[in-house]
Amino acid sequence: MDTLKAGDAADVEDAVRAAVAGDQPLEIIGHGSKRSIGHAMTTDAVLDVSALNAVTCYEPHELIITVQAGAPLDEVVSLLDSRNQEFAFEPMDTAALLGVRSGRGTIGGMIGAGLAGPRRIKAGGVRDHLLGAHAVSGFGDGFKAGGRVVKNVTGYDLCKLLAGSWGTLAVMTEVTLKVMPKAEAERTLVLRGLDDVTANRAMTAALGSPYDVSGAAHMSRTALEAARGALAVLASTGQAATLLRLEGIAASVAHRGAALAAHLAPFGAGELVEGAESAALWCDVRDVAPFAADGPLGGWPVWRIVCPPASGGAFGQALARETGGEVIYDWAGGLLWAALPSSVDVVDAYAASLRRRLAPLGGHATLLRAGEELRRTVDVFHPQAKGVAALAERVRRSFDPGSILNRGRLTRTPIS
Amino acid sequence: MTIMMPASDQAVLDRRDAIVADLRAIVPGEGVIASAAEMLPYESDALTAYRQPPMVVVLPETTEQVSRVLKYCFDNGIKVVPRGSGTSLSGGALPLADAVLLGLGKFKRIREIDFDNRVVVTEPGVTNLAISQAVAHAGFYYAPDPSSQIACSIGGNIAENSGGVHCLKYGMTTNNVLGCELVLMSGEVLRIGGKAPEQAGYDLMGIITGSEGLLGVVTEVTVRILRKPETARALMVGFSQVEAAGECVARVIGAGIIPGGMEMMDRPAIHAAEAFVNAGYPLDVEALLIIELDGSSIEVDELIKRVEAIALGCGSTTCRISGSEAERDLFWAGRKAAFPAVGRISPDYICMDGTIPRGALPRALARIRELSEKYGLGVANVFHAGDGNLHPLILYDANKPGEMDKAEAFGADILRCCVELGGVLTGEHGVGIEKRELMPHMFSEADLSQQQRLKCAFDAQGLLNPGKVFPTLHRCAELGRVHVHGGRLPFPDLPRF
Repeated sequence: MDTLKAGDAADVEDAVRAAVAGDQPLEIIGHGSKRSIGHAMTTDAVLDVSALNAVTCYEPHELIITVQAGAPLDEVVSLLDSRNQEFAFEPMDTAALLGVRSGRGTIGGMIGAGLAGPRRIKAGGVRDHLLGAHAVSGFGDGFKAGGRVVKNVTGYDLCKLLAGSWGTLAVMTEVTLKVMPKAEAERTLVLRGLDDVTANRAMTAALGSPYDVSGAAHMSRTALEAARGALAVLASTGQAATLLRLEGIAASVAHRGAALAAHLAPFGAGELVEGAESAALWCDVRDVAPFAADGPLGGWPVWRIVCPPASGGAFGQALARETGGEVIYDWAGGLLWAALPSSVDVVDAYAASLRRRLAPLGGHATLLRAGEELRRTVDVFHPQAKGVAALAERVRRSFDPGSILNRGRLTRTPIS
Repeated sequence: MTIMMPASDQAVLDRRDAIVADLRAIVPGEGVIASAAEMLPYESDALTAYRQPPMVVVLPETTEQVSRVLKYCFDNGIKVVPRGSGTSLSGGALPLADAVLLGLGKFKRIREIDFDNRVVVTEPGVTNLAISQAVAHAGFYYAPDPSSQIACSIGGNIAENSGGVHCLKYGMTTNNVLGCELVLMSGEVLRIGGKAPEQAGYDLMGIITGSEGLLGVVTEVTVRILRKPETARALMVGFSQVEAAGECVARVIGAGIIPGGMEMMDRPAIHAAEAFVNAGYPLDVEALLIIELDGSSIEVDELIKRVEAIALGCGSTTCRISGSEAERDLFWAGRKAAFPAVGRISPDYICMDGTIPRGALPRALARIRELSEKYGLGVANVFHAGDGNLHPLILYDANKPGEMDKAEAFGADILRCCVELGGVLTGEHGVGIEKRELMPHMFSEADLSQQQRLKCAFDAQGLLNPGKVFPTLHRCAELGRVHVHGGRLPFPDLPRF
């Protein structure tokens, strides 16, 4: 398979136009760290944008950064960190979960995947922080979307579509993202020994309080034991742990920590974890450390399930009980990571049943980690209702009528 | 009216009586308004300089009626202009002579309040403020707070991606809407998103929000609600130079402080507001900042100290800190009344709405001053300083020949300046008809073609709210084939406004 290495945005346009002319679909990659997500692509060539890796403009006082899409995420995060800033949505590092080398992944991949971390409940997701983009459509036309200011309603907000589109609408070449100051202090309240449903209630109570909770996660004893890092430390008591994070200036975090503990006293006495120790816990939650590819649950397929937050506990508890799998909860129950043990046949059955049961809740499930054989059998991305799916397909065609970009990644159904 | 709209379809106008009768069969009783006198209130939105009676007004009450009306119009090639409360400031709901005006004002019910999932499911005609009022008893609120929140509808907020003073910290409408029921021009009813924090597939909710009624008609909305912070306090800080106030804004943000709101007024706006509400604003300053900090009381107390120190470091000449809710409300009262206050000092004004990078504030204000002299028209500046969203109020007298045209030219120059400084044409009011012709100043033909292709995915016949947002009409089939390169204009024979 040919690899076309783009040196600049003009190269990307040329490559896509040539692909359109020859009806030769392209796989778009940065570092390729998320290539194992989605269906096998029916592409003839690879368009590699990793050389578009410059930081074009960083204005800490404006709270924005403009970077080329191939810029390595870890380098950009380090740059922001040097100015005590960050991406508030806590972009997930999929390396451990997918078993790829750590430190890989680009800004373009981060946006295309749209996988936000624990702070999404407070700060929003990737889509909320993408202010502008330059991209090349499947027509081979370079176009601009959005701008570089926070408040902008000029024309359609095409950036929203690019976030989470898995490279199927356009090839991003340069993007502008909102950044935020890092919190001065953080503290995590840990509640012990709650079952999934009770923990869900505790998280709901925390999010309904005025204490500005910026992370709410829960995991069982066995999940904690499966993690190697900071979360594994919590396994020592042999109990499940429910984590609630507070961030801000030190005095406020201390005040709110005490107030939140009192507010949640009916769920048991909490313990407080502070500073770097707390931060390490949330990195592990963000990256789903208990399901690391090289950990004890590394051989199991992993689902990413999004549902109304207050429904998560009951849904996950039933799922774990029925499958013998392991479920961990983030976003106060709105995000479930489920590792389910089984053969291809059984997972196929799970897929249908879990999606059927998610339907009345308005949730959806993505098979984020699975072998190739399984991904050929099961719909990786959640099938949509007929009318919405048809609209989404028309939207896709409005960007890429020839299905030149990442053809086949989103659906097992061949595009006619 | 100086702006051109799409040519009316005479064949549609010739069938008006039959169309009205057919619509009455779908929406019975008083749901169809066809007399000229009764249609008067619908002939403009809040951009009242432009008026156009619609062909007929239809006020459905159910999603099924909306669907049937749209399908009927789709089948018969009739244009439709959706309308919420009509508070749009950019002409987004301006009727067309040959179009149905589809008012959603009867969709007034809050369908569900779900505190556990922190969402409200509501019909689109409910006002922005009513959502907050409905959940206030439990300590919750809906964060985006456009100044018109007492009157504007949540459906209109989605159409315009409305903002407000809280947007800096809590985001715009798009950051606070989770899902909707959407009726396409074909009459098809779709559910996009819902109570889950994210939807499956492409972010269709994200593209519907801010689409100015060109993509579909929203008949139900699911919005996020937030628990109110423990407390909020405000500082009122005066500066003898506008540049110093701008510097203060930059330093507050640079210090890692994100206020709940950070607003600025210049001397003319301060004087007008003070005369109107007696908020105690200092009259000997060139710029006034109102900075609100919210959160826990300890946090707010600490941040007040830090912001006060920053303001002093920037040369503030006065600084008052609210000691009570009543005083905080008073600080805001003048800012919130700034628009009507300016209305008392000038027979007419145009409220502009552009956004610039915060750091460009002094340059933008200097340019606005130059333009004020060039056009010989006064200007008062009120703006969301924290996010660079300017609202210059251009003062004129419509009774003086040529002044309105001068005011419009002045406004267009300000918006061009915003783009040149790295900003955008509109921060919260939308493009509508007001800024339609300026779109090519910000977007290339290729940029606009991509946006119009997206429009075609929702409304292939271009029947929904035509004439808004885009300066050029395109036919969808042609957009699907056209490649625009080198700035050449394709299909020069197509109608252009």
